[in-house]
Amino acid sequence: MSNSILESVDAAGDSTPGRTGTSAGTPASTIVMSMQQALNRALDEVLAENPKAVIFGEDCGQLGGVFRITDGLQAKHGAQRVFDTPLAESGILGMSVGLAMAGFHPIPEVQFDGFAYPAINQIVCQIARMNYRSRGTLPMPITLRVPSFGGIRAPEHHGESLEALFAHVPGLKVVSPSNPHEAYHLLKYAATRPDPVIFMEPKSRYWQKGEVNLAHGEAGAGSPTGAKVMREGRHLTLVAWGAMVARCLQVAELAAEDGIDIEVLDLRWLKPIDAEALAASVRKTRRAVVVHEAPLTSGLGAEVAQLITQSCFDTLRAPVERVTGFDVPYPSGDLEDEYIPNIDRILFGIQRVLEYKRG
Amino acid sequence: MAEISFPLPDLGEGLIEATVLEWLVSPGDQVERNQPLVEVETTKSAVELPSPQAGKVVRIHGGPGDKINVGEPLIVFEVPDNTAGIVGTVPKEEAPKRRVRLSAVLDED
Amino acid sequence: MDTLPVASGGAADPLTPAQLRELYSLMVAVRHLDRSAIAWQRQGIIPGYAPELGQEAAQVGSGYAVDTTRDFVFPTYREMGVARTMGVDMVAYMSTHKATWHGGLYDPLKSRLAPIQAVVAGSVLHAVGWAHGQTLDQKDGVAMTYFGDGASSQGDVHEALNFAAVMKAPVVFFVQNNGWAISVPTERQVAGGSVAARAAGYGMPALQIDGDDVVAVLGATRRAFAHARAGNGPVLIEAMTYRRGPHSTSDDPGRYRTLDEERDGAGADPLERFRQRLLADGIADEAFFAEALAAAKAEEEQIRTGIQALASRPGTEMFDLVFQETTPALQAQAANWREESEHV
Repeated sequence: MSNSILESVDAAGDSTPGRTGTSAGTPASTIVMSMQQALNRALDEVLAENPKAVIFGEDCGQLGGVFRITDGLQAKHGAQRVFDTPLAESGILGMSVGLAMAGFHPIPEVQFDGFAYPAINQIVCQIARMNYRSRGTLPMPITLRVPSFGGIRAPEHHGESLEALFAHVPGLKVVSPSNPHEAYHLLKYAATRPDPVIFMEPKSRYWQKGEVNLAHGEAGAGSPTGAKVMREGRHLTLVAWGAMVARCLQVAELAAEDGIDIEVLDLRWLKPIDAEALAASVRKTRRAVVVHEAPLTSGLGAEVAQLITQSCFDTLRAPVERVTGFDVPYPSGDLEDEYIPNIDRILFGIQRVLEYKRG
Repeated sequence: MAEISFPLPDLGEGLIEATVLEWLVSPGDQVERNQPLVEVETTKSAVELPSPQAGKVVRIHGGPGDKINVGEPLIVFEVPDNTAGIVGTVPKEEAPKRRVRLSAVLDED
Repeated sequence: MDTLPVASGGAADPLTPAQLRELYSLMVAVRHLDRSAIAWQRQGIIPGYAPELGQEAAQVGSGYAVDTTRDFVFPTYREMGVARTMGVDMVAYMSTHKATWHGGLYDPLKSRLAPIQAVVAGSVLHAVGWAHGQTLDQKDGVAMTYFGDGASSQGDVHEALNFAAVMKAPVVFFVQNNGWAISVPTERQVAGGSVAARAAGYGMPALQIDGDDVVAVLGATRRAFAHARAGNGPVLIEAMTYRRGPHSTSDDPGRYRTLDEERDGAGADPLERFRQRLLADGIADEAFFAEALAAAKAEEEQIRTGIQALASRPGTEMFDLVFQETTPALQAQAANWREESEHV
């Protein structure tokens, strides 16, 4: 996290993978794939590189997961390392604790966001505090993959945004990729950490393709920690993560038609949040809107707004706005588009900030 | 979308070919797994072959009276390009639509 | 397996020919609607569906035992046959698969069917609570909760079985063991191979039955209801059946089982079995079967028309239905939504 500001600035350069379509100068290590394929590739490599990494969950094995993220991994790495469990999320996460104690790196999958609730006891009461309880002798290198957020007209409990819940728990780290490139690199990084990381995959973005630069380090992905500027701008910073990043990039293009130059900051890590990147961006733009699918009240937007206010109070031209889901249970498919922040609601939020007058 | 081709399966008892009697589906049909696809005749009997796959029929091979060898293409399906989750629908990529315009006088101090 | 004492289970009256024919008509209606719902999904009428093909006998037989004047049923998301048998408004039921409203639009209190439950094993404990409420109120209603072989792995199911047995709650735990939890077969899901066998550990009587024999299912469920209603505590029924179709309309069973395995596992079609039995016993003839199918088709057409005509719920319901007593913050969000949305 130390160089996150610099990295954010670097990341805004031409080779930024978030800004696809740069055919000229595309590095040789860049290939086009979907997020689903990028995650699959990352897991494949993690299994190959770490003999103690194991993947398990409901339907992860032969079926390859309901979203095919683990497709082919059992056939390639064996049923000892990629396996189906009985259908019990608390069991999956509780078992992860024991495996971690035994020296493994569990990469469990909870099939859908809403099915993490039955596992909350093990996640919060056990995984998050074992390192602390054991005075550092029992670290919990557990990478919990959770297909997350809404947008696919799915049944109940298949469209939840749990980041604030997870982020509130001491002892958990939380990350969410916004595109295939981020997915590949963030998962490879998360799955090699010595601490528990909740990896929230934006399921509505699984199938969109994008360029992935497989090279690591400064020539390739840049840092896997901290936030990342996905589009540079002068007038206002849109802060988002997961599926909302793509929508904010669309909004930025539309705002440009109106002469408003918007910076889009992909927060990526929802815990720890990159306060320095927020400060660096908003010091420049002096205006900020944070966008998330999760409900408004006690959502991460509040945390982001506070961090910005803390660092940029003197230069802010308006209070930080939040454009979010509502304080309602995630609705059925018919009402999904009413719930998830849409382009117009984000534009309204931007307009409120732009027209704000002090005093 | 991807295509999946299915060959004439091994019908057992050492049979190496079958004669198409009647196709029960046509290109363009949406068929379900296990739905009868075609009636074929072997030297032993006439059998209906069930579909091993749900999907849209793209092509069928052989008309009534034609012989097909075991292992040769029988039918081709169009299936989603490994995009399906277990529930829900793949969101369409649409051009952004807007109603709201922005207006501001921006001081550049 | 049958550890339910005969005396407490009260042998029910034999089924009349009219009842047997009604069971058949229900099974045909359910089979046809289930098949049609897959077609609706392929035609874009609904975004998804979880078929229950092959489980008609288990669902119709058990649902038929419910007394909707006093009992209450807790379904999963795959109990369309139970809902139909209980007389639930099927447009309101199927609306959940149109993504109109999670849980469906039917009235749970009037229909005696709890909202459709998407969480595996999510409502098994609710049945125990409802049933204990009957005990506290000195009423004679029985709760029946449905779950599957997959759900039996969830800790909540253990808690529910233990609570019910400790409290002697009038609950019928109706397990449809359909052989598969998405891609995982029962032998890799249920240690020991039988959910019914676990009941012994709770001191609870249990029946493992042929879930594809509608008459056997109904008989077992009636006995279980009589046992529970008489104040003898809970009963577990494990109906052995087979999920003949995919887990859902997006599932591809070809990735985890062959057609041969499917055929071997599924056994004889429960609907065809019952048809043959009615014919052999002279209870029904071909004319009756044709009539039942025609009625099922007409019914499906009516339900499809209703589903197609079903409009989206107004967005205001998102806000209005969160609480009985709303909050200022929620009202403010609703006002903001109205202002910024085209759908005033």
